Amino acid sequence: MSNASERGVHRDHSPLLPTVSAGVVGLSFLTFVLAWLVLFPILTPSTQLVGGVTFYDVFGLAMLLCGVALVGSGVASRTGYVPATPSATAGVTTGVVLGVLGFVVTGLFVSQTLGIDGPMGLGWFLAAFVGGAAVFVATVAPREDVGSTVPIGAFALLAGLVVLLGVIGDSWTWNPSGLAATFSGDMAVPVVALVVSLLTAWAGAKAYEGFGARGRQLGAYMFVNLNAALMLFVLFVLIAFIVYRGLPGVLRGAAVGLGTGPEVAFGLHLPFDVPFVTNSYGLRNDVNGVLPAVFGTIWLVVGAVVLAVPTGVGAAVFLTEYSREGRFTQVVEIATNGLWSTPSIVYGLFGLAFLVPRFGNSASLLAGQLVLGFMLLPLVVITTRESIKAVPDSYRDASAALGVNQWQTIRSVVLPAALPGTVTGIILGVGRIAGETAPILLVTSSSMSPFPASRFVPRVLSGFQFTAQPPFVTNTELLQASSALPYQLYALITAGVGAGAGSDADIDPWSTALVLLIVVLTFYAVGIASRSYFRRRLQE
Amino acid sequence: MSKTDTDSRSDTQTESQPLVDHTVEGETSEEIRDEWTNYDFDGEAKLSVSELNVYYGDDHALKDIDMEIPEQSVTALIGPSGCGKSTYLRCLNRMNDRIKAARIEGNVEFEGKNIYDADANLVELRKRIGMVFQSPNPFPKSIRDNISYGPRKHGDIDTGLLARVLGRDDGEREERLVERSLKQAALWDEVNDRLGDNALGLSGGQQQRLCIARCLATDPEVILMDEPASALDPIATSKIEDLIEELSEEYTVVVVTHNMQQAQRISDQTAVFLTGGELVEYDDTEKIFSDPESQRVEDYITGKFG
Ligand SMILES: Nc1ncnc2c1ncn2[C@@H]1O[C@H](COP(=O)(O)OP(=O)(O)OP(=O)(O)O)[C@@H](O)[C@H]1O
Ligand SMILES: [Mg+2]
Repeated sequence: MSNASERGVHRDHSPLLPTVSAGVVGLSFLTFVLAWLVLFPILTPSTQLVGGVTFYDVFGLAMLLCGVALVGSGVASRTGYVPATPSATAGVTTGVVLGVLGFVVTGLFVSQTLGIDGPMGLGWFLAAFVGGAAVFVATVAPREDVGSTVPIGAFALLAGLVVLLGVIGDSWTWNPSGLAATFSGDMAVPVVALVVSLLTAWAGAKAYEGFGARGRQLGAYMFVNLNAALMLFVLFVLIAFIVYRGLPGVLRGAAVGLGTGPEVAFGLHLPFDVPFVTNSYGLRNDVNGVLPAVFGTIWLVVGAVVLAVPTGVGAAVFLTEYSREGRFTQVVEIATNGLWSTPSIVYGLFGLAFLVPRFGNSASLLAGQLVLGFMLLPLVVITTRESIKAVPDSYRDASAALGVNQWQTIRSVVLPAALPGTVTGIILGVGRIAGETAPILLVTSSSMSPFPASRFVPRVLSGFQFTAQPPFVTNTELLQASSALPYQLYALITAGVGAGAGSDADIDPWSTALVLLIVVLTFYAVGIASRSYFRRRLQE
Repeated sequence: MSKTDTDSRSDTQTESQPLVDHTVEGETSEEIRDEWTNYDFDGEAKLSVSELNVYYGDDHALKDIDMEIPEQSVTALIGPSGCGKSTYLRCLNRMNDRIKAARIEGNVEFEGKNIYDADANLVELRKRIGMVFQSPNPFPKSIRDNISYGPRKHGDIDTGLLARVLGRDDGEREERLVERSLKQAALWDEVNDRLGDNALGLSGGQQQRLCIARCLATDPEVILMDEPASALDPIATSKIEDLIEELSEEYTVVVVTHNMQQAQRISDQTAVFLTGGELVEYDDTEKIFSDPESQRVEDYITGKFG
């Protein structure tokens, strides 16, 4: 039977193997999701479900079922009971991955459960090595349908039994010698279930397509998708958690309705009021707010971008279009890469030593903008260079052949085509500098309370003053120290308390974090919108 | 425009011993080659190339080319792939300068002045000697902006904000120029209702005609075309061929082609390059295709090699 579909274009429609494997994949997927929910403690593993069943039992049963089904599918396929198109072997890569797993499991079992150390503490190592090698051979030696199901199935079965029988369960703890940490059952079980479910989902997907090239394709697809889902899940949980903890604090005293908000201009009021965002700190406030810090962060980022983008793009144009590729550009390239990976506290130290003494010897917004601008600069140079290099030479040739000089060509053809890449760089960079704490602490906020009163809101635009003598333009606001959201967050966390003493007016760190998140995401949104605008100009 | 049929030496060479010139070995002796490539024509030479050698690193891509290109006519360049036609074409507006590995020796005189002189103005030169590339390369801009790109950058058309504020907006002239150029390139009917669309959305053949229109918009005197019809269907090809014939009344056109019939249809004179970067024969198109002097050229034209 297995030979019948060996060269067939269509899958043989005997439903048994696909049905069973689809069940394995589905069950693995549920286990995977459940394991994450338990790990993030959204669910408690020892919760009693119907009939005294706990999540431990659910994990155990699911793994057991997957294991049995997988071993069954492998054997059924090998004996020709169900049609399949397996290759000769599951492959060395699969063998190595499963072998390492076998090594770890045997090693843990021998050293921790049996407590065998052997001569010079190497006994467990030998046993683990033998275990790993055995799994490797069991995977690689038989035909693919057995090699990629039976070892995984057996492992799942074993794990399922261990959990079901309560060997590892609620009251189980493990104190690895030499480590201060203690692992408990409600941590170990979901982790084991995660690993097992990834493996069984993969093996199940392979079996679904009857192994062979098509099976491997679906297996890989399953694996990649589960991992992508995992990333999104982690991201989602992070954001959801911040919103969950921070939102009540942000919305304290918030109101919606005509004329409730603060005055904007000419007696017009915003139709909503969020005092946490629009207030500063003051003794008579019902709700203390973060307005000075929000403005501080916004002006820091804007200043850094204004400084870094023109200089960075200019440097990238010079390096890519004008100077010849050679020793010089290589050195600059290494230097820019190095600057981008320089720790921010080093930039902060530089600012403290060189900028602060030159700006009236006090911390200032301008010093922070410069330091963050220097941090952003290398990324702008790197991404702009890469995207300028990616502009096809045929555009430059076409322009040159029309008698257009190099600078005009760069300005009207090369830069517009490279702009989306530059914006991507700015987006990434802003994400980093907006949350930067160390340099701000040193050069912008050191003499400032993290929770300043309203007169410390930096009003940069109205701070410009024009004079008849050089320097013609001055801005005292830029030379003032300022708070910033990450600085405030740092102060809240290290102080352990809010600005007040446990009263209603306290500022909650999670609320500050949420506002910071919103500010950064707003910068992202602006960046992404402008990038798609520039892209559309190239395509429509 | 007649060949030097009074030259008796050439006659003896070709008539009494037609196959003697080492044709099988490949290299033709210098004297004979000079003879075969010495094309005599009435009127003025727009471009005259002498002792042109091009090297790509150690690779000698063009060898001692001497060639005079008459004005207001169509000159076809033919030859097997890799023989240096594109390289030669790029020498005529100094586009080879842009290739780092390329080294160019010799003279190319444009209206009596060597374009390789140190004081030559490249921008001005390329404005007057336009080029259409082997593969279409429109800018990622609208069709209209592609056409008006050259004139705008040269300052001939100003639609900028300042011009608009000062009431010196050339918008209307721009529209007229776009329409004229697109009509010349036989593209107007297909795109006149979507001039604001991105040029990259056009088909390959349309893009090629757009590049021709873009080149015409800067009003050059010489137009260099590198296989302008290689991406086109027969209908578009014949449109381009008509266009080239029309252009030759006003412009000097040099066109590379792989298509013998096309060369015969559109060109007044044909230059045959053969592998190794030699110009082997250059004469009236009729003469080249009916009675070539060189055996190798005849073999190439009749499809025996190349
Ligand atoms: N940029 C370059 N760098 C190095 N060598 C080059 C370069 N361009 C062309 N050459 C070499 O010069 C020779 C002539 O190339 P050219 O492109 O002029 O040929 P061609 O006659 O136009 O061929 P085709 O008909 O295929 O377009 C070839 O041997 C090619 O390898
Ligand atoms: Mg070519």
